[in-house]
This record gives sequence, structure tokens and C-alpha cells, in this order.
Amino acid sequence: MKKISNIHDIKFSKDEIPLKSDSSNLFLEVMISISVFLFSVTLAGVLAINSMLSNWSDSILGALTVQIMPVNNVNKEKSIEETLIHQNKALEFLKTVDGIEKATPLDDKQLQRLLRPWLGDGIDIKDLPIPRLIDVKLVPHAQIDFMALAEKLAEISPLASLDSHKLWLSKLIQFADGLKNLALVALFLVLSISAGGIIYATKSSLGLHKQVISILHIMGAKDAYIAKQFARRTGYISFLGGLVGIAFAVPTIFAIAKLSEKIEGGIITEASLSWLSWSSILSLPLFSAIVAMMTAYVTVKKTLEKMM
Amino acid sequence: MQKNTGNKLASIIEMQNVGIRYGHGPEILSDIKLSLKKGSFHFLTGKSGAGKTSLLSMMYLSQKPSRGTVKVFDHNVNFANRDSLAMLRRKIGVVFQDFRLIEHLTAFENAALPLRIMGMEEKEVKQRVKEMLEWVELDKNMFAQVSTLSGGEKQRVAIARAVISRPELLLADEPTGNVDNYIAPKLMNLFVELNKLGTTVVIATHSEKIISDFSYPRLNLENKNLRIYYPNDKIEMDTI
Ligand SMILES: Nc1ncnc2c1ncn2[C@@H]1O[C@H](COP(=O)(O)OP(=O)(O)OP(=O)(O)O)[C@@H](O)[C@H]1O
Ligand SMILES: [Mg+2]
Repeated sequence: MKKISNIHDIKFSKDEIPLKSDSSNLFLEVMISISVFLFSVTLAGVLAINSMLSNWSDSILGALTVQIMPVNNVNKEKSIEETLIHQNKALEFLKTVDGIEKATPLDDKQLQRLLRPWLGDGIDIKDLPIPRLIDVKLVPHAQIDFMALAEKLAEISPLASLDSHKLWLSKLIQFADGLKNLALVALFLVLSISAGGIIYATKSSLGLHKQVISILHIMGAKDAYIAKQFARRTGYISFLGGLVGIAFAVPTIFAIAKLSEKIEGGIITEASLSWLSWSSILSLPLFSAIVAMMTAYVTVKKTLEKMM
Repeated sequence: MQKNTGNKLASIIEMQNVGIRYGHGPEILSDIKLSLKKGSFHFLTGKSGAGKTSLLSMMYLSQKPSRGTVKVFDHNVNFANRDSLAMLRRKIGVVFQDFRLIEHLTAFENAALPLRIMGMEEKEVKQRVKEMLEWVELDKNMFAQVSTLSGGEKQRVAIARAVISRPELLLADEPTGNVDNYIAPKLMNLFVELNKLGTTVVIATHSEKIISDFSYPRLNLENKNLRIYYPNDKIEMDTI
């Protein structure tokens, strides 16, 4: 036994309950590292989809165009007249839709200007069967179901249609949104399973150290005193496990990003991760440690409450 | 505390109609009635298996009675919440028959436990523990892991831990069963000194020698019940 000459050099052991040697520690650490890995990759996906969605809706979806195909009749006058009737029907309808701020049909002059590059000057569009256009301005951040809008529009006038790029985009957005919700459910599941694992490990550890805990109780320790030791240990293990998980997750996220770049460009590049997203991913080991600590703490308190 | 010295002596422990049973078995103790006055000193005797440890465990609040009421420091243990039980336990020192030390900690850390749990300043803790362990002649083993100590050494660590906080109530279960004839009287004197300073003491023992060396009343467990015997006049009477 080493000689300690000065009692003030003594360091009291912080772990009165020998949690350090629990066999469940390894189980916990591996479980947390896998959880943090899954969580961070999924979270990266959610954040990427989010940035993609906000890029799209901000830049492209602020406005849209409704196109009225010309009626093709032998009588030109009549054709134009009928086309305008369809345009007015569409216009009347658009004005009633929630989320649409303004719907303005382009007049002849504007149409002519649009067509000038192709048709040159001096051509009277009245003579030509060209489509009419309605410029639709959306209320900022309006939640519009473009699929439903397109269907309604077609019912009102078979000649009217939403421009197809937007329709396609809105389908993509719907898909991305669904994917995002799925990922959020996955995040929730990972979190619940980890919490379950921590509760299980804590309870078995409580059983293992029943003796020491009862000694601490009889010496006058409150439940919180005991719960703190469990929380500290579990938090430490979870932080280590979290570091391992994140160490695997970061290269994985990069690999997935590389792979997705190979998919048709333009769309996926919108899905970049901001520094804010990265810092929330990198803070996951800390986050997992805090969640683990709180879970262990509450588990110990709840379990001890059933004893005398 | 001083307020209670008026018309009636304060009771540290009160038991009324107390019964104890384990699981669905028969009662080990029945209809126990007991009142321990502040500053009293009692021996607790009875055959092996009579229920001495069980009775003490209600006093140190690790067990509730199966029936009846137990009051410790005027708190009914059936109604006290967990945190207030913890605070009551801090006023009680216990020497267990089986020591119940934390084996992976040192003798020093074990003896320091009650003070650390109370949140006493570390410097003072160290000073007090050192003096205490020297007094029970454990200076050489102070920093040895408890699991490496002999039975008698463990018992002395257990006693040091029980008295380190100068408790108001000291409960000792066979505290001298494992020590030699030289140190046993010294440890008994420690309890006597503590009692003189105001600590209420109950010592469970099988040793007739110790009992006859001191003239303290004896609580004897017989037929699941308590009888009290006073040393000199040998008057036998029911529990107070
Ligand atoms: N936790 C328990 N579960 C079941 N039975 C118990 C338990 N503790 C004690 N008993 C029983 O209660 C009775 C009294 O035990 P207790 O330990 O109180 O006796 P004791 O007087 O301290 O004996 P000894 O002098 O041998 O220490 C015994 O018959 C014992 O078997
Ligand atoms: Mg016993």
C-alpha cells in the first residue's frame, strides 16, 4: 500500500457505486454509437431535403403561369373570341383560389413582346392561333396544392393548363416532403430505442449495485445523490459512444453527397448542408450525452421511489 | 432540542403495536411497544434469530413495520417522504452485523461517506476521518481497500463510519463480535463517551460479559416481544 503522507493529497473516489465495471457499459456504448450514426445520417438527410425545399419554393414557386391553348376554328374572329372566353373562365376561377394574390392576363402587346424574338416586328398576333397566358402571383409562402389546382383548372376549361415544369416540381416537393416526414419518424424511433436501451441498462445496473445503494441510503443519501452518479456515468459513456458514431457518420454523409451529385445535376445541388446544419450534426454526441444523462437520472429516481 | 426538556423527556424512538413479517411468513415480532428516551443507553439481547437485527432495521429506517406505528425523531416513518427519511438517517449512525462497507473503496473513503453525503467541506472531512481512524487504531490501513482488510479491521472501519458524524442516535449490531479482547473495551468506551455527549445508544449483543461490565438496561427479545430488564435491582417490568 502506498504511503500517503499528507491527507490533503487524498482524492475521494467520485464513483462510490462501482459503475465503471458494469458489463452493460459496452452494450450501452455500442448501442449509442450506432444510434448516433443512424441519427446523424438521417438528420443530414432531413436537413438537406429542407434546404432543397426552401430553395425551390423561394425561387421557383413564387409565381406561376397558366396557359390557354387557342381554339382552332376556321373563323379567326370566332376563334379569338372563344379563346378569350376560356381565358376569362380560368381567370375568374383563379381569383377565387386561396393563396393566389393576383391573376393578370397578358394583353396583346405583352404577348407580342414575348413573341418578338421568334416572330419579329410587324406581325399582328390577332391573325395567329397563339396561346394566351395568365400571370399568377402567389401570396408569399402560400401552401398551394398544385396538383389539385391543375385538375380544377382542367375541369373549368379544358384548354387551360398550369405550366408543366411547376407541376413536376410540386410533385417532387411532395415526394421530398414525404421522405422528410419518414426520416423524422425514423429519428423518433432511433431516439426511443436508445432511451429504451438506457432505461434497461440503468435498471439492470441498479439491481447489480443494490447493496452499495442501500448503504448510501442508510448513510442518508437522497435519491438524487445516487441518480447523479448514474447520470454522470451514463452521460460519459454516451458521449464516447456518440463520438464513435459521429466519426463513422461524417464520411458516410460525404459519400452519400458524392453519390447524389452523380444524379441529374441542378436539383440535388440545391441540397447542400449549411454550417448550421453541420454544427447541429456535430453536436449530436453532446446531445446524446445529455439525453442519456436525463434518461438515466429519471430512471434511477423512478426506480428508487419504489423502495424504502 | 432544549425546548423538549420541559414536562416530558423527548422520545427518540417510539413504537406502538409494531409487527414485522417477511413476505407471507409469520410475524417475527409482534405487538412491540417501545419508547427510547433521548440520551438513553440500552443493550438489545435475544437468541439468534429472535429479531434483533429486524428491530434495529426499523430504527435505522431501512424497513417499515408490517403493522403499527414507528416514530423516529418524532416522524412517523409510514408517512415521511423519501427525502425527509434521508435527512433523518443523517442523524443516525449504524454499525451493521455484516459491516456493509463499500468493498472497492478505501477504509478512509468508507469512513468519510456520511460526512461527504452531508456535503461537509472536504478539508474538514479529511481531518475528522483521519483522527477517527487513528483512534480505532487503523492508521496503517487507512488507505487500504476494504476488501483487503481482516474482519476485525472491517468492524473498526464500520464503527468509525457510524460515529464519524457524531449522530444523535447510534445503533450497533454486534459491534464487537469480530475484535479481540484488547480493542473491544476500547470500542465500548467510545460508545459510552458518545452517550455522555448526548447520543442515544442501542447495542445488540450476545456478549454477557459486555452487558455485565456496564450497568445499562437491557431490552430482551423473547416470544416475539420486548421485555426490559434493569441491571441492579433486577426488576422485571413491561416495556415502558
Ligand atoms: N430479509 C429477510 N427475509 C426473510 N426472513 C428474514 C429476513 N431477515 C430476517 N429474517 C428472519 O427473521 C428472523 C429474525 O432475524 P434477525 O436477523 O432479525 O435475527 P437476529 O436476532 O438479529 O439474529 P442474530 O442474533 O443471529 O443476528 C429470522 O428467523 C430470519 O430468518
Ligand atoms: Mg442479527
